[in-house]
Amino acid sequence: MKLKPSVLDLNWTEVETKIKRFIKDYVEKSEAKGIVLGLSGGIDSCTVASLAALAIGGDKTLGLLLPEQETFTTKDVEHAELAAEKFGFKTEMIDITPTLKAFYDSTPIFKTTDKLSKGNIKARTRMIYVYYYANRLGMLVCGASDKSETMIGYFTKWGDVAADISPIMDLYKTQVRKLAQHIGLPKEIVTKQASPALWPGQLAEEELGIKYETLDLILYGLERFMKTEEIAQQLGAKKELINKIKLRWVSMEHKRRMPLTTKMQYRTVGADFRLPRTLH
Amino acid sequence: MKERIKVALAQISCKQGDKAENIRKIEDNVIKAKQQGAELIIFPEFSLTGYTVRDRVYELAETIPGHSTTVLEKLAKKTGTYIVFGMPELSEKTQATIYNAAVLVGPDGFVGKYRKMYLPTHSVFEEKRYFRPGCKAEAFDTKLGKIGLIICYDIFFPEVSRLTRLKGAQLIVCISASPATRRTFFETLTAARAIENTAFLAYVNLVGIEDGLQFWGGSRLIAPNGKVLVKAKYDEEDLVIGEINYADIRPIEAFVPTLKDLRPELFDELREAAERL
Repeated sequence: MKLKPSVLDLNWTEVETKIKRFIKDYVEKSEAKGIVLGLSGGIDSCTVASLAALAIGGDKTLGLLLPEQETFTTKDVEHAELAAEKFGFKTEMIDITPTLKAFYDSTPIFKTTDKLSKGNIKARTRMIYVYYYANRLGMLVCGASDKSETMIGYFTKWGDVAADISPIMDLYKTQVRKLAQHIGLPKEIVTKQASPALWPGQLAEEELGIKYETLDLILYGLERFMKTEEIAQQLGAKKELINKIKLRWVSMEHKRRMPLTTKMQYRTVGADFRLPRTLH
Repeated sequence: MKERIKVALAQISCKQGDKAENIRKIEDNVIKAKQQGAELIIFPEFSLTGYTVRDRVYELAETIPGHSTTVLEKLAKKTGTYIVFGMPELSEKTQATIYNAAVLVGPDGFVGKYRKMYLPTHSVFEEKRYFRPGCKAEAFDTKLGKIGLIICYDIFFPEVSRLTRLKGAQLIVCISASPATRRTFFETLTAARAIENTAFLAYVNLVGIEDGLQFWGGSRLIAPNGKVLVKAKYDEEDLVIGEINYADIRPIEAFVPTLKDLRPELFDELREAAERL
């Protein structure tokens, strides 16, 4: 198998149809009133919100903009509104700064210099807002995690990844970009640099130390059981880099699964308790 | 035996774990197909229960004959049709040994059943976890000719279809629950099985979404020369009817005489090589 960008090509019309069908089917079967999701103004959430609007209607799709002062940019808000206007979904903005401040102030062990722990509070606080809206309005929470970040664990456990359904979780980041382009999201959103916005100036590719174009090909190779040596050779990359990615890929499984328990009884959740996800 | 028959491909989606609802849908389709002249109506793999039932299979499985087959036997009698559907079969001799089965009922009641021999247990499939594989190919004499039954992944193994053909089946029915990522395989293999056996092949696939799996439909009736006679829509419920003329087999069988040219001695070698794999 040759690792080249074209291996990530899919039939985007089919992908769009499948995702829309999936969203519509799940919303109907669960008898929910619609979809609510956190809308950062980034490519993933803009794509999912737009697809949800296409699938079930913009009046049943609500994007929650949840900025906070440290990472706030007017560009993000503009991009979110741009997508909302084009695809006709609803938005609502809540400044979560006071909530975060209340948490910081009331937590004895809070340490502002611990960037990661503090950043995760932001993602988890957003999750609380999104789920509150879903509960109050009888809606489902739609996740916007892509496969690249899911496979390397580049997300906040129980934070941005928390959702009832995650329609683009089987698409790598560069594939999401193609899909976004295909459905007609504005160029400034499609080409925008990804950021989890957990702290000011955070950029995904900078933090990960790799371009998504390369990362996605590495992940694609790992997914298809390619050896790290083979991936490194084909991409002209250092073996250490591929091994580092593979280590993340393997060790982040704990973030992708139900919490682990120890087996003590006949059938155990997350192990051999295997029921279908029927919604009726 | 009739020379010409009308076959309906009833491409339905199922409500997971809800046999009553699925039987209602089967009834509706049988009545509609009968009104359009169909004599044989075929439903997908696990059309009684939905494909993705996981541990619930232990409560859903029934003996064959059993309650659900009796209901569908009555429907077949009432409508004067033959019906093929899929269900989890509970062994009569045990309490939790289950087969993935295809059932054929007709105007005179229960005709026969086939237990899937090749159980996919890879990728998203976990059939060996739940089911015991069958060990016999089946072809049944009916007023509509001899009908062979196979199920989904069996189609990847030419010997299953070949065995039904060697038992005399001129129509091979393949019921299926194939997710969209495997469409091209099935589109190729269904035609291949028809051609290599010089038989008609009716492929009926599930549609709908179960646990994130999207079944692609695309059911089809294929002639012995590989030509698709009728085809159902992709991804949506559909009911299509096609006509089989068994007389069409003769010219093809003479033109591509795969049965005449069979070399039984190679099967011994095949077996030995497979044992050493």
